[in-house]
Amino acid sequence: MIPNVAPAPADSAEPTAAAVLPKAPRQSAAKKFSGSKLFASPASIAGVIWLAALVVASLTAPLWLPFKTEDQDFTAVLSGPTAAHWLGTDELGRDLLSRIFASAAGTLGTSMITVIVAVGLGTLLAMLAAAAGERVETVISRVTEIMMSLPGTVIILAVIGAVGTNIPLIMGILGVLISAGIYRVMLGQAKSLQSQLYIDAAKVDGVSTAGISLRHVLPGLTNTIVVQAALIFAVGMLIQAGLAFIGFGPPIPQPSWGGMIQGASQHVYDAPWLMVPTGAVLALTVLAANAIGNALGKAPNATASHLPSAAARRQRGKAVAAIAATAPASQDVAKNTLSVRNLSVGVDSVGAGKGVRLVTDVSFDVEPGTVLGLVGESGCGKTMTALSLLGLLPSGVSVTGGQILWNGKNLAAATEKDMEGIRGRGIALISQEPMRALDPMFTVGYQLTGTVRRLRGIGRADAKAEALGLLEKVGIVDAARILKTYPHQISGGMAQRVAIALALAGRPRLLVADEPTTALDVTVQAEILSLLRSLVKDTGMSVVMVTHDLGVVADLCDQVAVMYAGEVVENGRTDSILDNPRHPYTLALLAADPHANHGADMPERLATISGQVPQPKDWPSTCRFAARCQFAGSACLVPIPLLPSGTGDGVVRCVKADELAVEGLDWLATDVPSHHILNLVEAPAAATRTAEKDPA
Amino acid sequence: MALFITKRLLMALATVLVVAVLAFLLVHAMPGSPGAVSLGAGASEEAIDEVNQRLGWNDPLLLQFVSWLGAAVQGDLGISLIDGRSVSADLASRLPVTASLAAGATLLSAVLGIALGVTAAVRGGTVDRIIGGVAGMAVALPAFWIGIIFVYLLAVQSSVFPATGYVPFEVSPQDWALSLALPVITLAVGGGAFIARQTRASMLEALQQEHIRTLRATATPTWKILYIHALRYASLPIVAGIALQFIQLFGGSVIAEQLFAMPGLGQAVQNSVSTHDAPSVQGVVVIATVVVVAVNLVLELATKFLDPKLRAS
Repeated sequence: MIPNVAPAPADSAEPTAAAVLPKAPRQSAAKKFSGSKLFASPASIAGVIWLAALVVASLTAPLWLPFKTEDQDFTAVLSGPTAAHWLGTDELGRDLLSRIFASAAGTLGTSMITVIVAVGLGTLLAMLAAAAGERVETVISRVTEIMMSLPGTVIILAVIGAVGTNIPLIMGILGVLISAGIYRVMLGQAKSLQSQLYIDAAKVDGVSTAGISLRHVLPGLTNTIVVQAALIFAVGMLIQAGLAFIGFGPPIPQPSWGGMIQGASQHVYDAPWLMVPTGAVLALTVLAANAIGNALGKAPNATASHLPSAAARRQRGKAVAAIAATAPASQDVAKNTLSVRNLSVGVDSVGAGKGVRLVTDVSFDVEPGTVLGLVGESGCGKTMTALSLLGLLPSGVSVTGGQILWNGKNLAAATEKDMEGIRGRGIALISQEPMRALDPMFTVGYQLTGTVRRLRGIGRADAKAEALGLLEKVGIVDAARILKTYPHQISGGMAQRVAIALALAGRPRLLVADEPTTALDVTVQAEILSLLRSLVKDTGMSVVMVTHDLGVVADLCDQVAVMYAGEVVENGRTDSILDNPRHPYTLALLAADPHANHGADMPERLATISGQVPQPKDWPSTCRFAARCQFAGSACLVPIPLLPSGTGDGVVRCVKADELAVEGLDWLATDVPSHHILNLVEAPAAATRTAEKDPA
Repeated sequence: MALFITKRLLMALATVLVVAVLAFLLVHAMPGSPGAVSLGAGASEEAIDEVNQRLGWNDPLLLQFVSWLGAAVQGDLGISLIDGRSVSADLASRLPVTASLAAGATLLSAVLGIALGVTAAVRGGTVDRIIGGVAGMAVALPAFWIGIIFVYLLAVQSSVFPATGYVPFEVSPQDWALSLALPVITLAVGGGAFIARQTRASMLEALQQEHIRTLRATATPTWKILYIHALRYASLPIVAGIALQFIQLFGGSVIAEQLFAMPGLGQAVQNSVSTHDAPSVQGVVVIATVVVVAVNLVLELATKFLDPKLRAS
């Protein structure tokens, strides 16, 4: 009967595409209470209206109620709704409507006592534990742990035995019991607020601990406080009614909701209607409070699911069929050559950020045995492009046009079933964070052997031998031991080797590597890169390498496609692009990379690219880089096509490419944002960031 | 591992001890002395004093507590002030009622909740919204009200189940199951809804993990991703939710016992509180705490077993 409130599972929203859009820099970790959330869902609006109406109706009850609570009408005992008694009467002919609303104020008021005690005490304890350090926290946590493992109902009943049915006092003690759960909910948040940098600053400024807690931590907790208050309010009402139901309510004949339902339970046989009005009012009030709590507690952007729900998959199936219907007959491409033609990826037209394009009109080819680098800052659509090759775009994002040609099939229009035949066997994936790419619940051996069996269709014993062979192939010495370990027991570099072994399990012809070295130590990075290089040489497979590291490009890639704001701005052979960049963005990336500037010509200060990649919804139809480009001029304010750059089969998307090449201009190391110099385009005020640093 | 278990056992013991002290103090704060309670109204001062003296009521509190604790450790919780029966014997006969009620309701909640929660998370769309809506309603409805409605529908309108009463398992396993049906279903509505929400949230969280993408990239069949990998990842919070539910239902059974006239612990605590039967109240509080603490202990061990990270350390 006493719900422990600890892990209140948030009624989280279906993950939306907004989660995969690059986020604007967050202002603060604090979650402030916002009224707009309250009025965003119809349920919570209804909840607010119901509660407000109930409070007003119960406070003004003496003015409008048709009967006194004790008025007995023996001509209408146990009647259903009539003109005189709108909600019917009980066994003594008392008017239900009058009794329900006359007792509402007391029910709501005493439930508030529980709310105030529970949330107040819980918050106070959490702030104290967060502010006063580990020892105090340990003590408080232990005590609350004990409180939470008590049979609350039984204790409350024992308390009633000692103090009698003093409802306000009982509800207060109930609040104390529940406060342990509130403390658990609040503690994490209070601690994360306490560890913010501005709190440290305030400490240095000499603000007292209490001052910090009240001025900086408490405001950040307001939303959680309101959410918990609403939920506990509902709990309080239910428990209070439950107590009255088992005979520990206000003294008879005073009406109470629980007592009235208890009365109704005596008449299930002869007057079933009796239980309806009171129960409905109680249930609606609890629902109202829950609706408010859930609306406020809803996480704004859930992370996107990696396996869309069945409903989302059906949706996507339809979209894919539509693309398949409109796509031109797929041209023939040589075997094991990947050819991406005019690929566009966009946010699905439901939910937040609808219809925004994340990748536009991207084309490139990858020949067997070669490595293509996809380079650019974060938020340029590299990963989206890479994931679309495997049909693994996150929920809410899908291919909106173009073709991905692979061995006679257009993967952009392939069904999920077709893609399952290609993933792992034809095209494989390694991702950025090896530790998170492996299932923490299963051993390396289980994951690898199962994958080998599935992709090769061989028996258990053969698969095990094959798994051992794969691990040795990726440079793991004690393969037999590693097979028995769980992912958390091995290092990041080892995990990435295991992830590569997994990717190789189906003997793929194309490997999509999404920043495979970003999360690793520098020395381990070099090892993984050399492993990839030798794998390409030995197996003849091709690789699409997503990276922001031009060193990796120089090291490994035969071709480079430089991406900016969702489009390819320059594409060509690695040596010609690195030696002779034609697009200003490529020029700037190189100028900002300490590794690309060798020995003698290392400049005194590295260049930066002012501003940041604009949000996808803000991408202009003109040159997307113009706002940050040192060379931009009026000619750049038209849509720019991708044109041959003159070297080999290279292409570049810049009207000034030839001019730059002729004049041999360099990207300058300057702190002045370019649009101030040129005053061309209004760009968002910018924090200068080097292109090389690429916060994920 | 041994250290962990020892620490947890000590913690559990401390909890029970704290509650024993608490219960002892509460009982002493009850109005009326044991003599007055057991002899009822109209008894003479001397008779009351005589009973109080015999029960040790006038001894120092600490002495009373120690002697109670000493007896309790040996399984003797004293005798009821109302009917003079042994509290231990009475509770021993009531424990199976509440335990089967709570266990049955937890089991049904778990089965229903996991099935619905997984379905909501996996199917998404309209199915998700319908399950979410129903679960939202179900957690808001008071159990005693749901119980009355079930009695009306399933016992009064169509006599599928007996409306009230309890038949011990030894008497007739079939009637035992039938007598438990309505109370168990009643309690499982809210419990199932709670577990469904917990399961849905945990499944969605599991599906957001990056290793799910690795599994898809290696052509793992969807059913295997959902029911082997994601469900396994989600199992920890789900198990925690189920244990929490058991604790809640064990305490909350008092309402179902009242509604369905079942002779369980809840009914005992309700009666003894009403009649100020101090030894009985004290006994029930302690027994309920022991059960709840034991379940918590089992949960922690289960979690430790389920999580490879904890198991290894």
